[in-house]
Amino acid sequence: MMERDLMDIRAETDELTTDKMWVIMGPQHPFSHGLWTLKVELDGEIITDAEPIVGYLHRGWEKECENRPYAKIVPMADRLCYAASMTYSHLYCMTVEKALDIEVPEKAQYIRVVSDEICRISSHLMWLAAVGTDLGNFTVFLWCMREREYWMDLFVRLCGARMTTNYPRIGGVRNDITDLFDRDVDRCTEHFEKSLWDIITLIDDSSIFVSRMKGTGILTREQCVNLGITGPAMRGNGVDFDIRRDDPYETYGKIDFEVPVMNDGDSYSRYMVRVEELFQSCRIIKQAMQKIRAIGKNAPYRLKVPTNVPACTAMCRLEDPRGESLMYLVADGSGKPYRLKVRSPIFTNVSASKPLVVGSRIADVPAIMAMIDMCLGETDR
Amino acid sequence: MPFMKVYPKNPARSLWVMKPLVKMFRFLGKTIVHRPVCILYPYEKMWVPDNYRGRPGLDFNMCVGCGMCVRMCPTSAIVLVDAPDDNGNIVKRPQINMGRCAFCGYCAEYCPIDAMTVTPEFELAEYTREDLIYGPRRLAYKGTNDMMKIQIEETLISDIKNGNPERRVKPFMIDRPELESAKCISCKKCEKVCPVSAIKMVEHGVNAKGRPILWPEIDDSKCICCENCVDECPKSALHIKEVL
Repeated sequence: MMERDLMDIRAETDELTTDKMWVIMGPQHPFSHGLWTLKVELDGEIITDAEPIVGYLHRGWEKECENRPYAKIVPMADRLCYAASMTYSHLYCMTVEKALDIEVPEKAQYIRVVSDEICRISSHLMWLAAVGTDLGNFTVFLWCMREREYWMDLFVRLCGARMTTNYPRIGGVRNDITDLFDRDVDRCTEHFEKSLWDIITLIDDSSIFVSRMKGTGILTREQCVNLGITGPAMRGNGVDFDIRRDDPYETYGKIDFEVPVMNDGDSYSRYMVRVEELFQSCRIIKQAMQKIRAIGKNAPYRLKVPTNVPACTAMCRLEDPRGESLMYLVADGSGKPYRLKVRSPIFTNVSASKPLVVGSRIADVPAIMAMIDMCLGETDR
Repeated sequence: MPFMKVYPKNPARSLWVMKPLVKMFRFLGKTIVHRPVCILYPYEKMWVPDNYRGRPGLDFNMCVGCGMCVRMCPTSAIVLVDAPDDNGNIVKRPQINMGRCAFCGYCAEYCPIDAMTVTPEFELAEYTREDLIYGPRRLAYKGTNDMMKIQIEETLISDIKNGNPERRVKPFMIDRPELESAKCISCKKCEKVCPVSAIKMVEHGVNAKGRPILWPEIDDSKCICCENCVDECPKSALHIKEVL
């Protein structure tokens, strides 16, 4: 009798099958850093399929540019990415300068390097803050935001604005660095190198954090290259490539720094690469500031450029905090661009979300996608 | 590599039991000694530098109404409106819609006579959208200093080629409108539209119908290169010759 009962129960459990279920995460969801949807197919707790949907933030940026004079696109380029606004206006200016075939004064190039690296630090700190909240540690968020304020204050000293800096100009930068900036950039860098260790110890010594990050979101090196992933997400997968070192723009070729690479290919290695980049950025800032001081105060930093760009095409790329950003300009000889195309790193990285999350548990998705460092402003444009 | 190489070798890692306690007390001490990061916002305010790009400011009497700010505004937030000056005469002055303003600072940067400035004012909330429109008189800011008058300091490409690079303040003001005299129909529109009266129509003979041929002559000392004459010319006889 007893045996029969047990057999019946086993028979019932064998018949108990669950359907796969599509769960829509986003566009407004605590896991998503911005307006995008991740549709995941769940088999119990395991993700079997995923589909990213972008486009909620599309503003027609590229088309808007076709109706504007070249100078007026610089403030628009700031709006592409709210966390790293300087890199996009820098990239735009570099592209137009390439079309005009002019070389920017050396001082402006160093100032651009400094401002780009400050931008990278503030962007990475924002990412670290977001990682803290995603993984349930609000202290990390607060501390990162506190440190970020110092860099934001540097931006205010540099150009008078915190977020949408509108600082690079076609032919140089908006204004020279002030004495206050010169003084504070060193203080800020030294303070930051110490205080970053506090934040790192909070995350890295916590077994909850590490177990959530280690071994999740694994991509192989080949997958990473085939998907076109760039930036720290790529360097965390063992691909040793950085545009700042391998195809140097501005004066990065004259600056000594290292490109961190990790071979594990999981979320933890992406985290490690970004943290190491924070230290390396401080190193670059120190060197570039020394060079700026050596150049002197009265050196030119901005060129007067023609209003019209001759009919040509130009393409430029730079190392964004998130990866490789690229702009392609088609000029028709008038004062407005004929076509301006933006290649943003996160658009490609988002498309890799399927191989990233498939096979992992749904609770890992926030951690995996946080390590991609989303910014949907540049993705949807 | 400070992080990747140093951190795994950190001897403190072996003290995993004591470590959280030690760290907690260290941070506790730090927090007690450290001054607060937060400020009581409406009562205490953050310090902002003089060159902070808050709302634009305007010196009404200095402004000549050239419309350079209108031309350069990326969001078309600025329009020129009629306003009475101190003597009661109607003049053109900029009016800014703060709801549209992107706070890029172009208006202050490109103003040829530094009438437009940036100001450190950033608390601009209003109850209605109409209140966000700042007329020419409301744009005034007390305590304007030199840091707020953003100047363009550019170097000419030709100067660098000559080996004599120097920063020139407002170099776009050395560009001048050039006349293609064959196209000119002597309509005098350029003379009327010039905000600083730099254009004077000068007679150059008589045409086949016996009417005087008037061509604009530009006073270089007065011209601010606002390009209004170029835009106004119905026959596109004027164009800007850029000095590079």
